[in-house]
Amino acid sequence: MTAVTSTVTLETPTAVRPRSRTGGLAAVATLARRRFAISARTPRELLIPLLAPLLFAMVVVPALADTFGTAVGGVDYMTFVAVATIGLLVPLSCIQSGLGVVVDRLGGGLRDLLAAPISRPMIVAGNLVVAVALASLQVAVLLGAAAIRGAEFDLEATGVMWFVAATLAFAVAMYGAAEVLANRLPTQEEYIGALPPVAIVPFFFAGSFFPISALPAGLTVIGKLLPITHVLALVRYGLAGDNGAGLHDIWGMSNTTAMAALSLGVVALFAVALTATAIRTFQRTAVR
Amino acid sequence: MTANHTSAIQVENLAKTYPGGVEAVKGIDFAVSPGEVFGLLGPNGAGKSTTVGMLTTTIAPTSGRARVAGSDVASQPIAARQASAVVFQEPVVDRGLTGRRNLDVHARLWGLDTVGARRRIAAVVDPFGLGEVIHRPVDSYSGGQRRRLEIARALISEPQVLFLDEPTVGLDPRFRFELLDLIAGLRARSGMTILLTTHYLDEAEQLCDRVAIVHQGRVVALDSPAALLARLGREIVELRIDGDVSRAVSSLRAEGLAGDDSFAVGATLHVPVHDRPAREAVTTITELGLAVTAITSRPPTLDDVYLQLTGESLAA
Repeated sequence: MTAVTSTVTLETPTAVRPRSRTGGLAAVATLARRRFAISARTPRELLIPLLAPLLFAMVVVPALADTFGTAVGGVDYMTFVAVATIGLLVPLSCIQSGLGVVVDRLGGGLRDLLAAPISRPMIVAGNLVVAVALASLQVAVLLGAAAIRGAEFDLEATGVMWFVAATLAFAVAMYGAAEVLANRLPTQEEYIGALPPVAIVPFFFAGSFFPISALPAGLTVIGKLLPITHVLALVRYGLAGDNGAGLHDIWGMSNTTAMAALSLGVVALFAVALTATAIRTFQRTAVR
Repeated sequence: MTANHTSAIQVENLAKTYPGGVEAVKGIDFAVSPGEVFGLLGPNGAGKSTTVGMLTTTIAPTSGRARVAGSDVASQPIAARQASAVVFQEPVVDRGLTGRRNLDVHARLWGLDTVGARRRIAAVVDPFGLGEVIHRPVDSYSGGQRRRLEIARALISEPQVLFLDEPTVGLDPRFRFELLDLIAGLRARSGMTILLTTHYLDEAEQLCDRVAIVHQGRVVALDSPAALLARLGREIVELRIDGDVSRAVSSLRAEGLAGDDSFAVGATLHVPVHDRPAREAVTTITELGLAVTAITSRPPTLDDVYLQLTGESLAA
């Protein structure tokens, strides 16, 4: 038997160095940096997702406004639809982010993360941070482009707070759904196949192009159960100055602030429930 | 078994049954001392990678216990992972990221701060020959460079226990030799325990202090390579029989030439020779007039040990 002669000379520690455990926030920050580096390695990867909101704001929404042009609930149609586009962009962006989870699992990267000395829900949290950040960037581009094209936003502090809270909660909820699907569906093809029913179909029942009161009665009930309907009513109340017309279509109450709080509660409930389900699903499926 | 509370790795009756009823590991026991290089040797499907998966807490055991650096993998999984690192059989580096970014992510997840991560990255890059490629995306690496990066990454955190799961599988002979050289170099690191799985006999013989031979989810032999080989005597006489192998065995036993440790694989009979020179045994066998089409003698290998114990080849 021939012994192998070593050519590797590494620094030899005099004793095993004590290490502190990675703090929760530090771990999430590292995981988020990793996810961001994978998702947006080049400027092209960062800019291409922004084409969709730009296309909507600069072309599609003005075309719809020209075609259907009347004001809805005191809001011009351009602004009405521009704000509603958030209901399409956020789910699409989050579902796209979830694709990285499938790639991690199939490509082996997930196994390495599972071997790291961190609490495993941190892995979900790291992905969530990046998904919400990318979705927020798309929303900002959408609104900026829409403003350039003539949409009129009501930028009062309270309204902006309702808008931000609703949008963030919605993004968290949609990423939770994406993470559940990414961990449940075995292939990228099946995951992509789930995109239309999860991210696109609800948009058409949520009062995106017209108030939900214009839907047939049965579909109005279904619309009220969807979190996206509450999100659109909230962002229009917060940013488009519709005086809570969308919220009234859902709740039928006279106190607008109370209706807004109820709708935000619904979206937050979905966000918490879907995030908890995502973490549970991840922990049950990642470790065989 | 020499299990005790000072073992770097301690495995007791560890078992894993996958959903669907596949029993990958059927209750294995072994202990690895600090600083020891320990090999799990067996063919594909023997349960080696599942065992590593349970020890690295990426696969949940069905029953039994295991401790890594004193931490129970079930009740103290984060502590067990903190003390260890693993190089998996399949590639797990982020191919879109640079080598340096891969190393940095690993360092930060194992709790190193910015300065510590930078110091450790500097300490492993050059010894592993990664200096020229470390700033390139990993998808531009050759197979050998990527494997070196994976091993370097595992060493970033200065683990007490290093798991290497089939580290050379699929590599061409040159890269394989390079990696064996690298792994042999790790032995010089004080305090580091290495658990290596392989189905390559030469790796186990060259690198391991002790070897556990795994067959169908069970440990069928555990000892140093030299002791395992010594079971088969000084040499093995290999006879290719044209006809009834069992009758040939009976004839050899009647003449006192073959013992209970003789074994057949197909039409080839392997006869360990303990108490006489192989040349003399070959001469005697030839004079018996058996229907032998070929006869050779050679030193025993771990493959012979495995074949004798299981009747299967490690290359299966």
